[in-house]
Amino acid sequence: MNFPVWELEMGGGVLIAVVSAIHVFVAHFAVGGGLWLVLTEGLAHRRGDAELRGYVKRHSKVFILITLVLGAVTGVAIWFTTALVSPATLMVLTRAYLWGWAMEWVFFLVEIAAALVYWYGWEKLDPRRHRLVGWIYFGAAWMSLVVINGIVTFMLTPGRWLETGEFWHGFFNPTYWPSLAVRTAISLALAGVFTLLTTALLPHGPLRSRLSRYNAAWVLVGVVLAAAAAYWYRGAFPGWDDALLGAIPVLPVVVALMRWALVAVCVLALWPLASPRGWRATPAVLLMAAALVAFGAGEWVREAGRKPYTIHGHLYSTGLHVGDEEARVAADGVVAHTKWIDPAVRDGHDPAALGGHLYRAWCQPCHTRDGYNGLDPFLAHKDGGELRDLLPLLDAMRALMPAWHGDDGETAALAAHLAAGDGVADFPDDPDAAGRLAWGLSCGLCHTVDGYRPLRETLAGMGRDELADLLDTLTDYSERMPPYAADAAEREHLLDRLEALAAAEPASVAAAAGSPVVAERRAP
Amino acid sequence: MTPIIPTPDTLPIPAPVPLIAFLQHLTFLAHLLFMNALFGGLALSYVGFRRGRDPRNPEYRLADAVTKLLPTLFAGTVTFGVAPLLFMQVLFGNFFYTASIAVGWAWLGVIGLLLLAYYATYYNAFRGPRLGAGARGAVALAATLLVALIAFVYSNNMSLMLRPDRWTALYLAAPGGTSLNLGDAELWPRYLHMVLGALAIGGLLLALWGRTRRDAEVAALAVRRGIAFFAWTTAANLAVGLWFVFALPRNVRMEMMGEVPLSTALFGVGFLLGLAVFAIALVMRFAERPRSPVPLATLALVLLAVMVLLRDTVRGGHLAAWFRPEAFTVRTQGLPLALFALLLVAGLAVVVWMARALLAGGKSDGDAG
Repeated sequence: MNFPVWELEMGGGVLIAVVSAIHVFVAHFAVGGGLWLVLTEGLAHRRGDAELRGYVKRHSKVFILITLVLGAVTGVAIWFTTALVSPATLMVLTRAYLWGWAMEWVFFLVEIAAALVYWYGWEKLDPRRHRLVGWIYFGAAWMSLVVINGIVTFMLTPGRWLETGEFWHGFFNPTYWPSLAVRTAISLALAGVFTLLTTALLPHGPLRSRLSRYNAAWVLVGVVLAAAAAYWYRGAFPGWDDALLGAIPVLPVVVALMRWALVAVCVLALWPLASPRGWRATPAVLLMAAALVAFGAGEWVREAGRKPYTIHGHLYSTGLHVGDEEARVAADGVVAHTKWIDPAVRDGHDPAALGGHLYRAWCQPCHTRDGYNGLDPFLAHKDGGELRDLLPLLDAMRALMPAWHGDDGETAALAAHLAAGDGVADFPDDPDAAGRLAWGLSCGLCHTVDGYRPLRETLAGMGRDELADLLDTLTDYSERMPPYAADAAEREHLLDRLEALAAAEPASVAAAAGSPVVAERRAP
Repeated sequence: MTPIIPTPDTLPIPAPVPLIAFLQHLTFLAHLLFMNALFGGLALSYVGFRRGRDPRNPEYRLADAVTKLLPTLFAGTVTFGVAPLLFMQVLFGNFFYTASIAVGWAWLGVIGLLLLAYYATYYNAFRGPRLGAGARGAVALAATLLVALIAFVYSNNMSLMLRPDRWTALYLAAPGGTSLNLGDAELWPRYLHMVLGALAIGGLLLALWGRTRRDAEVAALAVRRGIAFFAWTTAANLAVGLWFVFALPRNVRMEMMGEVPLSTALFGVGFLLGLAVFAIALVMRFAERPRSPVPLATLALVLLAVMVLLRDTVRGGHLAAWFRPEAFTVRTQGLPLALFALLLVAGLAVVVWMARALLAGGKSDGDAG
């Protein structure tokens, strides 16, 4: 709204996710790997093990090539992509946490310098001084994590900062300590993940076997500690239970992905522990891939948990500030506060063209047409009238969207742009799939069957005629329940689905998940 | 078309504007020194590998020694590039982000170019001895061109952020961020001014570094080549600088021509210093006996600092109608600021200690590999 929106087909969120996943993976390795280097070098020194020292030295070359170049440059890349995708967020962060970023930069500077001195100093510094540089490296790297963790968790749970605006109130926020524990533990695990790969490339022999076991222990200890810390983290995560029940539709899938990837990490890390001589490069690469998926999914969970904000309770993903600014937009309408509209269409004489600009400003920060969070599969079944009914209800839907503050004309303009066709699209031939799609296009926008705002118990025992009657009288149940206006074919598919749900046994989770919406006749 | 200007965030800025601006300029100066040494070093290593095919040739030996320095210079360039960008965003974020979005793909492309150039310098430093002079020269040239391309993208973004009048048309024509600021008369002189300046200072830094080499032939060559590089690129840059001045909008140019005392003084001092360093370099280039480059380097450092400040006044002149630092609410975050200052001093001390320990322990000029 304040800034232009970068029109990116893949979706800005996907770009940030890809860049961030690579960066955090390498950056956490940079922390744990630093500890691994200095401890293992110390071990080699105490034992007078020249072979082990040689390996640590060779590994440190790989280490600097990965962390100094890929780690540092992808860190810059996160700044670049965030500036492009969510400039309003950076406007806030650079003001509220300038000195946090600046401190982090000092640690980054020391970390980079120490890594270089550590590498170039293998044969130039005496062993004790060399290890001291290694400790300086690790200390600086971990401290940069300590600082950045404050800013990243601030975005998820700003805590008292929302009232006071005080630096430390936002920094030491409700998820700060558990997140720091999780990230530190992950760093240890990643040190093992990376070294298991360089270990697998060693020639067969006692050193390789010893190192395989040693590095696997780093992975397993890190994963166990991370899992324990994640349990702690969960308690501070905003709306965790609702999110898992489907309030954020993607979250249950991502959490499952994270869990399975973690299981894969553990299984693969047990291999070199049980059979160090059998450790190979292929499972080492698979281990790295599984760790990347697990960590990436974890970051995804954190990002999804912020919905619909980039800074929870302060700034929406659209760049709109909660509070006065939102109130002004609600009072004046969205066009008055959307800066980047072609002046030629601002007066609304061409509603679809104006709607295109509104779509870009208010929908595109999170959605694409046919990619991630794609709208086309949904829009193909909706006509302009249905969309006009639905837009004012965005904030009531699952997926935690911000409210739409357009007036009638603006809503009609956006609906005109979104409704590309007549809203009649084909359904799958498979009746079950067609029923599920019809559910997703209507009830599923706000409800789940058994999880968040469950409907199964409400529907239980109802016959087709009762269900049809229910669809015709939806608006009686709540002011925010839209009328059901689908065409006859879609309606039949939905009735098929509802009938199937009504006839099925209630799932156990339904009983625990809260009261039936319809029975209580309240707003969703 | 009336420019659309995003409003700055309403949160207070966490320190007075002059302090943030000071830190921006200071760290930018450090970034320039590293970047110039990197860019100049890359170009000079290419020249060395082309002229000296034999590893015993001083040209080759000089290029080889420079090549080993480049990864560290790259690290310094990136690290000291982050800080001024951070401080600049606090003051100019609404201008900078908007321009970045208009040139989005090119701006994001900097990351890919940076990775390629960075790994190329490591490749040449680590694998170099096993490659021939031709291959090493080719890698050095590729990295030089990649860095020059990065500079071009930077010039596009940094010049566009000063031209809000160009934003709306560029963005609405290509909201996917595929634009460049090619239609701006300032772009090319600005870019060339920066690139030539970087090569000049890079050459001078090479001369400074080279004179301490134990290998007398390489030391003499480094000073001679570095000074020559500085002299000829500075000569060209004096002309390009004037082109740049005349490409500026009239109001900005007039600020430097007497309307604003600070801008005028900076421009005057900068121009005179430019002439002076060129003259000194010319004398040194044709002197019968080698002279120390230290006085010239000192003057050039002052010139560079003057140029950093002049650049800021030019930015202020461009954005005068919209940039209102006096309208910012300031709420100084005392403790975090003090902590940063303390950490900065301590951090720099640690870096200096480590560097000295490494240099003191160095038995040779080579790397550890």
